Amino acid sequence: MPRYELALILKQMQRPETAAALRRTVGTLMERGALVRDLENLGERRLPYRMTKHNQRHSRGTYFLVDFYAAPSILTGFMDHLHRDVDVVRPTVLKKDTHVPHRNCCGPQNVVSKLDDDVLQRVG
Amino acid sequence: MFQVIGGRSVPAARLLAPRSAVLVEAVRGRKSRTDPVAKSKEGRIKVPPPVDPVEMVVLKERYTEYQLIMSALRLEFKEEVLRKKYEEETGSQAEERVRQEAEEHRSLMAWNNEENLQISFCQEAEEAQRKKIEAAIQREQEQQEFIKEKEREILQLQEEVKNFITVENLDQRIEEALDNPKNYNFAIDKEGRVVKQTALQ
Repeated sequence: MPRYELALILKQMQRPETAAALRRTVGTLMERGALVRDLENLGERRLPYRMTKHNQRHSRGTYFLVDFYAAPSILTGFMDHLHRDVDVVRPTVLKKDTHVPHRNCCGPQNVVSKLDDDVLQRVG
Repeated sequence: MFQVIGGRSVPAARLLAPRSAVLVEAVRGRKSRTDPVAKSKEGRIKVPPPVDPVEMVVLKERYTEYQLIMSALRLEFKEEVLRKKYEEETGSQAEERVRQEAEEHRSLMAWNNEENLQISFCQEAEEAQRKKIEAAIQREQEQQEFIKEKEREILQLQEEVKNFITVENLDQRIEEALDNPKNYNFAIDKEGRVVKQTALQ
């Protein structure tokens, strides 16, 4: 099954409500036959620009990252469901990049390549 | 008799007995044909240089003899050269030599071609054999690698399955996620120093 990543932006809510929204979303996903691998929280932060959704203006939101394995056929239905959810500000499903391709940068080779390797090592 | 060179005296003298190393041509000088003769040259009668008849005869004989000998020699040499060239191309030996050389060349080329054919046949057969073997080995190796890679991936996945989210884990994982916000931002400068701690807005 191909591997997807859901970058979810939830409304600024209290903790139990956020938990409920997450439970709802992941539950829907699992009902549709997806295999959820991991759930990450990228924190509650200011949005890069103000977003209007469901007649509400949002300037802050909580970012979550769900990576899951799913069949491509369920995606449209799932996105539809997410768009209708009032607590969700913006859902985005992307294909998961397991292997980052090594770019050939032009210019002085020794400096650039060293930087890339170091960065990759430290970021992990 | 020597021919008298016409013209004024100065150019004639220059021609017959040139004092300088270079023979200068007769040049008209200042006056043209239609100018009157100068007063100092009014009654001038041109007189050819005196010739001693005895000397003349002797010289003439000697000169004819000399020229005869010289031209004869020249013709002889020319003829010799031409003859040699002719013999070289169409002499009695030339044809035979050419024929022999051609035959030798032909035989040598034939021998060479045969040798080449033999060597190439052997080499071709060997090379084809070697290539087949190598290709087979390569394919087998690749298959082995592929299988190993897939096995490794399967094992890795089996390990990771333990960390997946299930219906029972869901609540616990949600609480965990809400408790630990992750920050992937970092800053880097030209020297490659990484700074993980950033201000989260």
